[in-house]
Formats: sequence, structure tokens, C-alpha cells
Amino acid sequence: MKLAELTLLVTLILSLALMLTFAYNYLAPTPEVRNLALFYLITTYNPQLPYYTVNSPEAVTAIVWDYRGLDTLFETAVFYLALIAGLALARRLYRENPVSFLSTNGGLSIIVKTVTKITSPMIIAVGASIGLHGHLTPGGGFQGGATIAVAPMVIIITFSVFYLLTRKVTTEKMLLIRSIGLIGIGLTAISVFIIGLAAGRLAFVFQNMPKANAPMGLPGQVNGVLISGTLWFFNLFEMLAVAAGFTMAFAVLMLAGKER
Amino acid sequence: MISVLDIVELILKFVGLGLIILGGFASLISAIGFHRFRNFYLRLHATTIGTIWGCVYPLIGISLLSITLNDLGASRWFIAGASFITALIILILAPAGSHAIARAIHKSKTARVQPCIADLLDKDLCG
Repeated sequence: MKLAELTLLVTLILSLALMLTFAYNYLAPTPEVRNLALFYLITTYNPQLPYYTVNSPEAVTAIVWDYRGLDTLFETAVFYLALIAGLALARRLYRENPVSFLSTNGGLSIIVKTVTKITSPMIIAVGASIGLHGHLTPGGGFQGGATIAVAPMVIIITFSVFYLLTRKVTTEKMLLIRSIGLIGIGLTAISVFIIGLAAGRLAFVFQNMPKANAPMGLPGQVNGVLISGTLWFFNLFEMLAVAAGFTMAFAVLMLAGKER
Repeated sequence: MISVLDIVELILKFVGLGLIILGGFASLISAIGFHRFRNFYLRLHATTIGTIWGCVYPLIGISLLSITLNDLGASRWFIAGASFITALIILILAPAGSHAIARAIHKSKTARVQPCIADLLDKDLCG
């Protein structure tokens, strides 16, 4: 029995190694990739190339929301569907847990509760800063939203999930904020296209800056402050959507069902 | 001539250096205590020494020291402010965390108090 397991394991490892050996030529990046990386680095913030630049010093956000923006849109959609599936799994828990019936006095000691009350606004502020500066510094909408969602997580652990629910942070409201975020992302994606339609000029979906054949675009700067066209709006709405989505998921995970 | 500003700078520099050295010394003591202390609660005490004396005081020292480093230009104020805020946040968070851990462990009767002189919360855990 042991020998059979060992043989299976060795065969698996050896076949994987063989596959990797053959696949190396395709997996390892060729030198041409460097030109692509150089293109991104040179054009991401370059006022001298007005038809190529994204006007964002942060190349990662520029790639995620401009160069390959459609990909990120579908990633957000996948995350949304996963959350909907989680909510559907927990759809009967609300009827089993009437909020008014349950006590809200539980949780950790008063020391931890006070510290949580002091620090959770700080967590939300840091998350908003990460999200809204996503086009300038490392970070972005998803990271900022995930940081904001730490605050309700800490509150759920130190107080209880019913503390959140009695403070009107319900999953319905979180779903509403999340939907607002997703609608915002969708509208931002087609905003330049709509502007182009209104002006009667050529414009594309997911276009950000003016291009040589499509002269419409959002401004890179507002009053001398960089907003990088659509990137700031994408980060804002993504931050709202991710923060609300994670809060909803944590609240649903922490609701206990009735014992059967 | 030595002006008042120079003296203040000198004081800040040496207080900052002293706090950083104190932090290194406290970290060493905390590491030794973490390995040598006998029960869970004493080891938790040693780790808290590591976070307060070994983190908060050196960070305040860095913030005082960076004010005197004129080569850094305006960015030394960012370093000073960020270090000070971080020190304050650790000062609030670390005791709350160790308190929550100790309370949870004691309530769930996971770790016994051993050797024990008195345990007024729960006599069964003593000894």
C-alpha cells in the first residue's frame, strides 16, 4: 500500500517536472517582453507623448484600469457573482436571527472595545487614502476597499455581528453600495464613448485619454491636480464596491444558524 | 558661538539615540524572557515588553533624531510625523491585543498559571 502511494507520488512529481521542462520554452519570457515593459514605463506618465500617455505615475494602476481595463471589469464581475452566491447560501439566516431579539451586550472586554472604537475610523481613513491615491502611489481601489473592510471585521470580532446590524450596517445596504460602485464602474467605462456620441466624434469603450484617431477623452488633470482621467473614478467606485462586498461577506459568515 | 537652536538639536539627537539604544536593549531582554519564562502569561508579558519598550520608544527616538538630520531636507518632517503616529497607534493597539489574548486564554482555561502564588479570577487554574 505504502509502495503504491510512493510510486504514485514519484510518478506525479516526475511527470510534472517533464512537463515543466518542455513548457519552459513557452513559460520563460522572451527578450521581446522587455520592449513591452519599456513601452508601459515610458508611456504611463509622459506629457510629451499626448496620444499614448495615461497621465498616471503609477504604472500598475494604469495597466490594470487602462491598458487592460476590460479584463479588470470582468474580474470585478466574477467577485460580484461570488458574493451573490455567498448571499444566496445564507438567505434563510435572517429569518432565524431577528435582530431585535438578540442581545448586543456580548463581545470582548471594554478595553478592546474602546481601542476598536478609536482605531476603526483610522482604518477607514487609511483605506480611503490608499484607494483615492491609487493613480499616484502603490495601491488602488481593490486594496483600499479591502483595507476599509478590515474595520467592520474588527468590529464584528470585538463587539458582535449584531452590533453592526443594529447600527444599520445591514447586508441590504452593503448590497446597495456595492451596486452603486458597480454601476459607477460601468458608467465610467462607457463615459468617453458617450461623450464621443454626444459630440459626434469617434470614441471607444474603455478609452481614457485622447488618441490620435479618437480625440475625445477625460482630462488628466483638474485644476493642476492629477486625476488620470477615468482611473480616479474607477478606483473610487471599485473601493466602494469592494469595501461593501467584503463587509457583506463577513457579516453573512458570522451569522449563526439555528441548531437543528 | 552656540545658539539655543543648536543646543536643542543636540539634546534631541542624544535623547533620540538613547531611546533607540534602549529599544534594542529591551528587544534583547524581551527575546530572552520569551524563551526563558515559565508559563504563558509571563511569556506574554515578555512579548509586550518587546512591543512597547522595543517598538514605541525607538520609534519616538527615530522621530526626535530625524528632526535633527538636516541633510534630509523637508522630508525629515514626514519621517518624524509618521514615526510618532506609528508609535502612538502601537501604544494603543499592542496592550489591547495582549489583553484580549490573555483574557481569552484564561477564560477558556487553555493555559494554567504555573508556578502560582494567587489567581483571584479562577482558583482552579492555580498551580
